[in-house]
Amino acid sequence: MNENIVEAQRLVKRYGDVEAVRDLSFAVRRGEVFGLLGPNGAGKTTAISMLTGVLPPTSGTAQIGGYDIVKELDQVKKINGLVPQDLALYPTLSARANLNFFGRIYGLRGKELRERVEDVLRIVALTDRADDAIKTFSGGMKRRVNIAAGLVHQPKLLFLDEPTVGVDPQSRNHIFESVMRLNRERSMSIVYTSHYMEEVELLCNRVAIIDQGKIVALDTIKNLIAMLGGGVIQVGLHQVDDALLAQLTMLPAVKRATLAPQPAPPPPAEGQEAKVAEIAPAPSYTIVKIEAEHSQQALVNMISFFNERDIPIAALEILEPNLESVFLHLTGKKLRE
Amino acid sequence: MNALNIALKDFQIFLKDRGAVINLFLLPMVFILVLSTAMQGLIGGDEDSLITLPVVNLDPDGEAAQVLIDALNEAGGIKVRLYDQAEAQALLEDLEIERVLTIPPNFTVDVAAGRPVTLRLVSHPDANETTTESVLRVVNGVARGMSLQIQLIASLEQMGAMLAASPPEFQVFTTEKNVAQAQSQFERSKIAPLVAVEQTQPENLSERVEEPNAVQQNVPGYTIIFVFLTAQATALSIYTEKKHGSFRRLLAAPMSKAALLAGKMIPNLITGLIQIAVIFGVSVFVLPMIGLDRLTLGDDPLALVLVSLLVALCSTSLGILIAAIARTEGQIGGLGTLALWTMGAVGGCLFPPFLLGGLLDAVGKVVPHYWAIQAYQDLIVRGRGLADVTTEMLALLAFTGVFFVVGLWRFEFD
Repeated sequence: MNENIVEAQRLVKRYGDVEAVRDLSFAVRRGEVFGLLGPNGAGKTTAISMLTGVLPPTSGTAQIGGYDIVKELDQVKKINGLVPQDLALYPTLSARANLNFFGRIYGLRGKELRERVEDVLRIVALTDRADDAIKTFSGGMKRRVNIAAGLVHQPKLLFLDEPTVGVDPQSRNHIFESVMRLNRERSMSIVYTSHYMEEVELLCNRVAIIDQGKIVALDTIKNLIAMLGGGVIQVGLHQVDDALLAQLTMLPAVKRATLAPQPAPPPPAEGQEAKVAEIAPAPSYTIVKIEAEHSQQALVNMISFFNERDIPIAALEILEPNLESVFLHLTGKKLRE
Repeated sequence: MNALNIALKDFQIFLKDRGAVINLFLLPMVFILVLSTAMQGLIGGDEDSLITLPVVNLDPDGEAAQVLIDALNEAGGIKVRLYDQAEAQALLEDLEIERVLTIPPNFTVDVAAGRPVTLRLVSHPDANETTTESVLRVVNGVARGMSLQIQLIASLEQMGAMLAASPPEFQVFTTEKNVAQAQSQFERSKIAPLVAVEQTQPENLSERVEEPNAVQQNVPGYTIIFVFLTAQATALSIYTEKKHGSFRRLLAAPMSKAALLAGKMIPNLITGLIQIAVIFGVSVFVLPMIGLDRLTLGDDPLALVLVSLLVALCSTSLGILIAAIARTEGQIGGLGTLALWTMGAVGGCLFPPFLLGGLLDAVGKVVPHYWAIQAYQDLIVRGRGLADVTTEMLALLAFTGVFFVVGLWRFEFD
C-alpha cells in the first residue's frame, strides 16, 4: 500500500487571468495530520476544493488513496470527508436530522446510519442536544455539528477547512481534542487548514506554508522553525547598499544579512482611483533581514555597528522562532494580514 | 436515490417554514376569494340568476304561442326575451346570444287542429352546454305539459260531443270511458307529443371563444401565478445552500451534479402540483358554499392533469434559470417577484382578456403564463379536450426546455 494518502502533482486552478493555485505539489502520509498554513486568500480552500472533487483542476493531477481526482472521482469522494469553512448545515433541522441526511447521501441506511450518527454525536459531545434545531446552538456547537457531518460516513481522509473560525475557546479546545482523538484512535488522516499558527503547531505533524497559491515551504514544524536558526532580526534603514549588507554579514553572531521582501503599499480603498494609490505613503526605509546564530548577541553587535557609523535605525523587529516568524521570513507578510 | 434524499430534506425544511405554507396555499386563495367576489357579475355569466331565453315568435297573434311564452316564463329559471328572426340570427352568429327558441308560424292553428308542431332550439357551438341543457329541460317540460293539456282537453271535448248524441242507456259508462280516453291521450302525449322540441346548431358559424366568468378567470390565473412564484423557492433554496456552504458539501459527496439538481427540482415540482390540486379542489367544493360560482373542471381530466404537470415543470425549470442568473438574495426575492407578477399580468392571469385588449396578443405569448391560462380556460371554460390544447402544451414544454437548458448553461456549481 502506498504510504501517501494524498499525492498532488502540479495542481493549478485558474479563474480567467487569476491563478488561485499555482503548481501545487505535495503528499500527505497515511495517519498524518497535515497542515496547510497561509493567510486568507492564499489558495488553501481552492486546493481543498480540487482534492475533494468540488472543483476540477485547470491542470495537474492528484491521487487520493490511489484514485485519480478527475478520472475516479466517485471513489475519491467515498474516501474523503469535508468540513467546509462555512457552517454547511440546515439551521431549521435538528442536529440528528442534519447528520441523518449527510449519512444517507453517503449511502448509509437503517441501523448502520443510526449507529454512525450516535457515534459522531458522541465524538463532538452533542448527544444531549441532538434533537434541537441547529439554529438554537451557539457558534461553537454549530462548528462541532459541522465537523460531525464530515465524519458520519467514516472517511479515511478528513479535510478540515478553517474549522475554528468564530469559535469560543472552550469549543476550540474541544475541536482540537476531537481532531487529535480521531487521528490517534481511528488512524484518520487529516488535512487541516488554518491561518492560526498556534493551531497548526499544536495539531500537525508536517506543514505546507502556502502563499499566493504557491507552497513556499513544506516540512515538519521543527525543521521549518530551524530555518530561522538563532532567530531573525529585521531592521529598517534609510540607505542600504551591497557594501553595508556585506559588513553586517561579517558581524559576530550574524549568519547572513539580506534584503527582506519589502511590504507592499496599502491597496486603494474600493472605489478609489488608481492615482490615489500612487500617492499613498510607501515605507521610507528598506528592510534588512539579519539571520542570526544568536539573536541577542547579534542585536548588540548590530546596534553598536550602526551607532559607530551614525546610521539611523528607522524600524526594528526581532522574530521569535515560530511558524509566524517563518512565514514572515519567507513571504515578508504576516499570516493575518 | 440521492436526488430523493435531497428532495426529502428540502420538504422537511419546507414543512418547518409556516410562512412558505401561507404563501403557497393561503395567499392565492385570498386573492381568488377577494377578486372573484369583487368581479362576480362584471365578467362572464348573467347579471341575475334567471337564464335569458331569446325567442323568435313566428306566430305573434296566436293564442297558443302566447300561452307557451307565459308558461316558459312561469316555469322558473327562464326569462323570455323576444327578438325578430333576422336580429336573432345576427346576434347568434356573433355569440351575443348563445341560443334561440323559434315558435313556428301557425303554431296556434296547428295545435288547435291537433297537428304536431315542432319548436326549434338553436344553440351556438360555443354555447355553455350546461346552460343549454337547463334551457332544453325547461322548454321540453313546458312543451310536454302543453301537449298533454291540449290533447286531454280535445279528447274530453270529443267525448262530450259523442255522449250528448248517445241514447241515455249508454251514458252510464261515461266515467269509465272518460278515464280510459284520458289515459290513452296521456300515453300518446308521451310518445308523440303534440308540441315537440328539436335542438339544433346553426351551420357555417365561425367558432368564437367563450369568455370566462370571475371564478374561471381568477382560479387558474392566480394558481398559475403562485405556482410560478414557487420558482423563487427553488432558486432561493439553491442560493441558500451555496451561501451556507452545504452546496459545496453536497458537491463533495458521491453524487452526480444531475442528481443534485434533480433533488433541488423535485420539491418544486411536487409543491406546484399540490398547490394546483388544493386551489382547484377548494374552488370546486368551497367557493359555491360562500356564494361564488363553482369552478367547473371541464370534460377532460387527463388533459387537466397533463397541463398542470407542464405548468409545475415549467415553473421548476424557471427556478433553475433564476438560480443561475441571480447573484443576490435581493435579486431572487425582489426582482424575481416583480418579474413573475409582470409575467402573470401580461400573460392574462391577473385580468380578464377584454381588459388587456391587444396587449395580450402582442406581448402575452412571450411568457409561459399566457399558454398556461389559455390551456386551462380552453379545458374548464370551453369544455375542450387534450387535442385542442396541444399547441398550448407544446409551448409550455418549449418554455420548460429553454429555461432548463439556459439555466444549466449559466449555472455555476462552484
